[in-house]
Amino acid sequence: MSMAPDPGKRLRRIVIVGGGTAGWMTAATFGRFLHDGVTKVTLVESDEIGTVGVGESTIPQIRLFNRMLGLDENDFVRKTQATFKLAIEFIDWRRIGHAYYHPFGPYGLDMDGVSFHAYWLRLKAMGEAADLADYSVQSLASHKSRFMRPIEQRNSPLSSIAYAFQFDAGLYARYLRSFAEARGVGRIEGKITGVDLNGTTGFVESITLADGQRLEGDLFIDCSGFRGLLIEQQLKAGYEDWSHWLPCNRALAVPCESGGSRKPVTRATARPAGWQWRIPLQHRCGNGYVYSSDHISDDEAARTLLANLDGKPLAEPRLLKFTTGRRKKFWDKNVVAIGLSSGFMEPLESQSIHLIQVSISNLMALFPDRTFPQVEIDRYNALMTFEFEKVRDFLVLHYNATERNDSPFWDYCRTMSVPDYLANKIEIFEAHGRIFRDNLELFNDTSWFAVMIGQGLEARGHDPMADVMDAGELRQRMEHIRTTIGNAVETMPEHWDFIARNCKADPVAMAGA
Amino acid sequence: MSGSDRIKSVVIVGGGTAGWMTAAALSRALDRNTVRISLIESDEIGRVGVGEATIPPICTFNAMLGIDENDFLSKVQGSYKLAIEFVDWTRLGHTYLHPFGDFGVDIEGVKFHQFWRKLRGLGDASSIEEYCVPAMAARLGRMARPVPDPRTPLSSMRHAFHFDAALYARYLRAYAEARGVVRHEGRIADVALDGESGFVRSIAMADGRTIDGEFFVDCSGFRGLVIEQKLKAGFEDWSRWLPCDRAVATQCEAGGELTPFTRATAREAGWQWRIPLQHRIGTGYVFCSTFISDEEARATLLANLDGPPLVEPWFLSFTGGRRSKFWIRNCVAIGLAGGFMEPLESTSIHLIQAGITRLLALFPDRGFDPVEIDEYNRLMTSQYERIRDFLVLHYKATERNDTPFWERNRTMEVPETLQRKIDLFRRAGRMFRYEDELFADANWLAVFIGQNVMPETYDPLVDAIDIEAVRDKLQRMKTLIRRTVETLPTHRQFLQTHCAAAPPSAPRTSAYRA
Repeated sequence: MSMAPDPGKRLRRIVIVGGGTAGWMTAATFGRFLHDGVTKVTLVESDEIGTVGVGESTIPQIRLFNRMLGLDENDFVRKTQATFKLAIEFIDWRRIGHAYYHPFGPYGLDMDGVSFHAYWLRLKAMGEAADLADYSVQSLASHKSRFMRPIEQRNSPLSSIAYAFQFDAGLYARYLRSFAEARGVGRIEGKITGVDLNGTTGFVESITLADGQRLEGDLFIDCSGFRGLLIEQQLKAGYEDWSHWLPCNRALAVPCESGGSRKPVTRATARPAGWQWRIPLQHRCGNGYVYSSDHISDDEAARTLLANLDGKPLAEPRLLKFTTGRRKKFWDKNVVAIGLSSGFMEPLESQSIHLIQVSISNLMALFPDRTFPQVEIDRYNALMTFEFEKVRDFLVLHYNATERNDSPFWDYCRTMSVPDYLANKIEIFEAHGRIFRDNLELFNDTSWFAVMIGQGLEARGHDPMADVMDAGELRQRMEHIRTTIGNAVETMPEHWDFIARNCKADPVAMAGA
Repeated sequence: MSGSDRIKSVVIVGGGTAGWMTAAALSRALDRNTVRISLIESDEIGRVGVGEATIPPICTFNAMLGIDENDFLSKVQGSYKLAIEFVDWTRLGHTYLHPFGDFGVDIEGVKFHQFWRKLRGLGDASSIEEYCVPAMAARLGRMARPVPDPRTPLSSMRHAFHFDAALYARYLRAYAEARGVVRHEGRIADVALDGESGFVRSIAMADGRTIDGEFFVDCSGFRGLVIEQKLKAGFEDWSRWLPCDRAVATQCEAGGELTPFTRATAREAGWQWRIPLQHRIGTGYVFCSTFISDEEARATLLANLDGPPLVEPWFLSFTGGRRSKFWIRNCVAIGLAGGFMEPLESTSIHLIQAGITRLLALFPDRGFDPVEIDEYNRLMTSQYERIRDFLVLHYKATERNDTPFWERNRTMEVPETLQRKIDLFRRAGRMFRYEDELFADANWLAVFIGQNVMPETYDPLVDAIDIEAVRDKLQRMKTLIRRTVETLPTHRQFLQTHCAAAPPSAPRTSAYRA
């Protein structure tokens, strides 16, 4: 009964198809964990095929990934031209002229088992609440362009600072490449020209490169981007189209010289037919206009983008086309799709790299041997479907909850029907301002509250439990929270000073993009 | 926005553990100056509560009320619980522990039990219990509360309690009454509904009084006086998976060691609980009436006591399952009125607590928004179903084929959600916790391994890690745990030092009988 597992069933070779952020994050993870020499890991990439990565913005979970690899954070920041991120700043989303922050850390603090949100709603009903941002260290620090890492001092609001980064995705991939190669991951340069499937099982057996080289594998990771070279073109996994909920289908991206705001934030500014990102790096600034081609021409989008830069453009705007949605199967037979090959949603909440990370951690939790049990593959697909759908619903909220009626694009978004899960979440919020997080859902109560309030949703009432506290005491405690946070933020260093002191990158030779 | 729409009166229908836990929690959370809380109970109607075993979240509930643990234990004849011991479940003569607390520690991001499984394949006979601090303390009859210092194994102690449920209800009654809850003694004659809306308007008492309310909590037990008899919530019957439908219970004198664990012993047509309190032992036989008569069950129970019985055994009937809706209009059912599952994993009080916590999170105003009521029902349904699956596992994963009852259980078809868990674990020891699920990986692991659902293989990532280094690490871990546990006081000593109860004064009566 207690038979040792058959080591003969272990994977002998894993082939990762495609470099870029997805490919090298996966390769680095394998390099970190599969270090006993039994499983050989090879990554195939072509220098001819460009990668989509531009300036990338992340969420705090990226720090867990980096820590799992054992990366030194200051070194990583220097090598990827990174800046710090405490929040996303949303401009013109609710209505033109309006702005709000979606911070990474919680608002205020819960009192007597009742959420801070409920107390804030009550104070607001009394007409005495300050702006929500004033009760968040992250929002306030963002507003004042300040940054520091959390300190270990339990009663200080500075202990709860959660942060992420903006970095150059191309440099991050390069950084992880040297990590992975140092740990035995092989890299082969070349274009893929053929794929062989097993006639009986339909498993991928090998890929052939342009130079005739044939690479066999037990497991293939498809990091080939939008086109899904293996998962779609060979295995026909299918694609679930979400463009009725997320209608943007193009993006124009361009880097420009640094200038303007030094806030530790990614900025998302709503535009007539979509929205524009601004991702500040140390050496330049990444920008892009995500839009719906039904509502604006490419030329007009390019004009809008170029008219809204903080500095001189450093390259021609580059056009990307996509369809929002997800692969129907993320894992099929012996192919797992990670990155854009698994699905695409616009990076409105900086979730792209996080979805790669979740794919990797679910794959590690269900790491296969050569028997590839269907029950494990099904579980992986169920976990990933949940992850994608919950993120999708959060994104759809941003478009749907708006007062904007100044363009056909926003009219469409404001009046579209939304997924049931989101509709239910909005209804529950509108009753008494309550939010329930499904257990594994990525975005937590703070995130939903920030965006729901930011986008102008109104709760008809608040949690009756918040009425138990005497009004005078409530006023006093809320004011105390606000001033404590205000005072703490005043002690924080300026964002770029912090970088200069701790993790300043080398200047780059600016030979175009 | 505030004020006019707020609920001004809550009526709790029924005392007992559910009623008084609800009363205590509401009196803690609501403003006594603006909300009137009443509780109706009749001394004529007995309580189902016998000796009760709990799980660690009860500590959170008590802390929420601000209850001092030592004071509480001394008043309810309480003892500590570190685990459940399952005897004869896997096969006759076999025993395992389901402890509170984790097994070992993960290594390089890979789950501990995966290494244990590999070493087992290589001939290492260590029991997984040897890597769990509360399990070892339970085995050796020792007790300590957890300490915050993460460097000592004692940081991973976790505990719950055994106590006399009627004394706990009395304790909470004093708490609630001191915070303004008004108790109405008497029998209920009728429940009046609003002719138009169907909302509950008032309770008519047998002596002619009428008790009005805006919000009603049905804690009337199995029968569901309001939720079922008036509001016709309906019941989802789970007896195809949990076939036991009767129990015979008694109390006996304590004898021998005071174990810091509950014992559940499988019998020919069900199982017997044993709950040690400071002053006596509560015990009972949960059985399926299709397979055994009341007389036989009673005889089996009496033949398996630690000491002389203190009361005549009494019988209870039930159906495993849940109310189709827990909350309808202005009435929410908490406790047995909401559903029943046998106390195999000591979940009865926890389900009360789960009902209360979610009620507090969704506490209504007089608008009674259907969206919030639906959310409550959804959350509680998932809570019940996941616990059901965990209980069903105990019956299903067995080698026993010595009686028709076990033959039936072993071969039954289980809920699809459970079957998937079993398949994933049996293949390579994989576990995934479902949304909002009470029991965590460590709980499932204990029962899977205990009932011999042995993974065919282990996580392939284990092979990338030097197994000799792991073997050394595990050896050191095992030794450290055992040495640490051996320095602890015995359970009895610990109780005497911190929370000894007064010997029961009144002569025992049949006050607890249903």
